[in-house]
Amino acid sequence: MGLFSGFGKKKGMILDAPLKGECVSIKEVSDPTFSEEILGKGVAIRPVDGKVCAPADGEITTMFPTGHAVGMTTEDGMEVLIHVGIDTVSLKGEGFHIVAKEGDHVKKGDLLMEADLERIKEAGFDTITPVIICNSDEYKDIEGINLAMVEVGDPILSISK
Amino acid sequence: MKEIKYTIQDPLGIHARPAGMLTKQAALFKSTITLDTGSKKADAKRIMAVMSLGVKQGAELTVTVEGEDEEEAASAMEAFLKDNL
Repeated sequence: MGLFSGFGKKKGMILDAPLKGECVSIKEVSDPTFSEEILGKGVAIRPVDGKVCAPADGEITTMFPTGHAVGMTTEDGMEVLIHVGIDTVSLKGEGFHIVAKEGDHVKKGDLLMEADLERIKEAGFDTITPVIICNSDEYKDIEGINLAMVEVGDPILSISK
Repeated sequence: MKEIKYTIQDPLGIHARPAGMLTKQAALFKSTITLDTGSKKADAKRIMAVMSLGVKQGAELTVTVEGEDEEEAASAMEAFLKDNL
């Protein structure tokens, strides 16, 4: 039985990595908003590349004007938030280049925005990037499945209804 | 039905963290709680919907609360907004 054995049955779903880096437990994020799962369940990625890509096909629901976070609703109905760095809202857009906009229909792997990781670090911010399912309470279980170095498109979360 | 109006003071507006906290507060009540910016509406119990309002400093937010616990819910939401936003 392979990784995609549940595919098409709608029971088990997989979310892929939106950026390249080390995928870790959400508990490793210093901000309790994430580590205590107030925004939902998920994992975090310590990025080694600032390109943030769509983790699934879907629609951009929220693109913060500061570019530090993006939310999308996948075709499966998952509301995914990708939040690049901690407290990076206060950079007011510095170090972030927005590509996609609200309402855009995107395909898995499409570039959504690009973060200048060095610039963000130089400004004194942690670049760890929580990848969260905001509507977690609609699912039975959400689990990190690849706590290791991941490339864009590698599976990181297993979601069951 | 109860209605509250509040002008956002926080210079960063409703970004991810306050959206999560607001949703958590709203979820404590049975009432339906709706946020209205004048151009967009959102269910206050849905994080992504709240974030997608893109509420900025100076924006006037109308909160409507409807349900069996609307009195407590409305005062709790008002207190939350004043304390956090």
